[in-house]
Amino acid sequence: MAYLSISNVTKQFGDTVVVDNFNLDIEKGEFVSFLGPSGCGKTTTLRMVAGFEIPTSGKILLDGKDITDKAPNQRNVGMIFQSYALFPNMTVSQNIGFGLRVRKESEATIKQRVDEMVGLINLEKHANKYPYQLSGGQQQRVSLARALANRPQVLLLDEPLSALDAKIRVSLRAEIRAIQKSLGITAIFVTHDQEEALSISDRIVVMNVGEMEQVGTPFEIYNFPKTRFVANFVGSLNTSDAEVVDPAKGFVSVDGVKFTAAEGTENRKKGDKVKIAIRPERLSFASEHKKANVVDATIENITFLGSVVRIQVKIGNTKFNMDTFNNPFLELPRVGSKEQVTCSKEAVLVLDE
Amino acid sequence: MNFSSRLRRIPFWSWVWFILGTLYFLLPLYATLDFSLQMERDVIGLKAYEKAFEDKDFIETFTYSNLLAIATIVMSIILIVPTAYWIRLRLPEARRIVEFLTLMPFVVPAIILVFGLIRIYSSSVMIPFTDIVLIPPLTNYKFGTNILVVAGYMVLAMPYMYRSVDTGMRTVDVLTLTEAAQSLGASWFTIITRIILPNIRAALLSGALLTFAIVVGEVTLASFLGIDAFGPYLFLLGQHRAYEPAALSFVSFILTWIAMGLIQLVTGGQGQTTGAH
Repeated sequence: MAYLSISNVTKQFGDTVVVDNFNLDIEKGEFVSFLGPSGCGKTTTLRMVAGFEIPTSGKILLDGKDITDKAPNQRNVGMIFQSYALFPNMTVSQNIGFGLRVRKESEATIKQRVDEMVGLINLEKHANKYPYQLSGGQQQRVSLARALANRPQVLLLDEPLSALDAKIRVSLRAEIRAIQKSLGITAIFVTHDQEEALSISDRIVVMNVGEMEQVGTPFEIYNFPKTRFVANFVGSLNTSDAEVVDPAKGFVSVDGVKFTAAEGTENRKKGDKVKIAIRPERLSFASEHKKANVVDATIENITFLGSVVRIQVKIGNTKFNMDTFNNPFLELPRVGSKEQVTCSKEAVLVLDE
Repeated sequence: MNFSSRLRRIPFWSWVWFILGTLYFLLPLYATLDFSLQMERDVIGLKAYEKAFEDKDFIETFTYSNLLAIATIVMSIILIVPTAYWIRLRLPEARRIVEFLTLMPFVVPAIILVFGLIRIYSSSVMIPFTDIVLIPPLTNYKFGTNILVVAGYMVLAMPYMYRSVDTGMRTVDVLTLTEAAQSLGASWFTIITRIILPNIRAALLSGALLTFAIVVGEVTLASFLGIDAFGPYLFLLGQHRAYEPAALSFVSFILTWIAMGLIQLVTGGQGQTTGAH
């Protein structure tokens, strides 16, 4: 049986269904991210696990025990908020020790655990400072230590990195992941940042308008999106209307230009309208190395993005983006020139229209 | 930019209005002080202060009013902090109604309040359709009257206390702090006493100071409920003496300023702590 089980959970506010029949099993020590746009129900689902919202229907089981209707202070769940939520009237040490004091632990235990946690987040020198004396990143680390001090069964992180600047965000997410792994704690991480979710998670739940679109490892979600929403939401993607030409052979046509897909056409009929999707990094110039699909293209635009150069090409009447790694000796084509572009069969994803 | 060059940048008319405003407040104070020092003919001295402080009734009524003020402040905090907290947390739609109710003491004069209290509580409050006495006549004994007085003062001080507390709560993220504390296992009582109250202490102190000022100077409720409070004492003193009331007025000004200074001292760093999110 799963460590944390969310079964058939639905949440309604009035007539609005915010989370619709959500089902997810999370194993002990797993790091799961809820990824989706604003209003998709990811935070509401997290808040139901925390106990701040009660499901309209469904059950939440933690380590085999039903916690669906338990008050938040009776679940052993740690929560980290986007706004840090440190108690302004308490120092770093007092913040970290708050939960232990509430549990009436002995002073010796509190001191030992607070020292351990302050060490874990490398803020020994700041233990006696107040929250306003710390940077955003430091405050969020204190918030993490405070949540972990109680040794919660599940750690819930509600967009904890959103308020931080880009560099701190990257370093802190690595720190969170390392601490989570070292303690073996089960964690749910809510974010709308796909890069964050892809880099930190064991599994990702992609959500849209209250429903789960897809659950899978970051590799599966990125490389094998099951729905058009997932394909569009995670990573950049070229999409185009297409028509099935030969279902058995995987042939589809985009404005009369033929592509071969590895899968996705076998259950369709000739003439079916579909969408095809190709990641920009899966396209390359055929002059370098020919793959299964080789098509004629016109260079429309070239954009330098630092580590990547994005080349916009026109195939038939459709514009596709093609990403190639930047290097100082890269020979780029002229805008307006004709080139051949290639991609593998596996790169062509056939999605429902 | 140094202080003197900053002062020079303030426009001329701003100075004019500032000086006029300052004179408006300071001249009456100066006149009161000057008058209180002239009790003995052709001598500037503290005779009026000596006489006022020597009076046994002054000490008794002042102490009694202080106790009433403390009781009013404590009871107001117990009633208003959880109310304002709950409205902010769970019932934001009730905020306008409660704000309207807290303004009622400005509309309904104290005389109406005191006659209402006397009308209801001068006879026993019974359980309807029975002979069982729920509350004996509160006006018939000292402790009962004190309860009525404190309850009345709570109503009079409510606009100030509620607004102070509500403003204080606006400066902290009450909802998120509550949820953070709950996720750490805290009960409602712990959240209010260890998270909410310490973070609104500046607001509480200003509410308490205003309540104190209202209670100590209040005349109507105290007179009609027949208690020996400081307000009626000052009123009587003003009718029969000239210099002592001026001396006591000046002292009360100074006491108020000291209290405000103490608030600044105690809450000096709070603006920063609550502002950091």
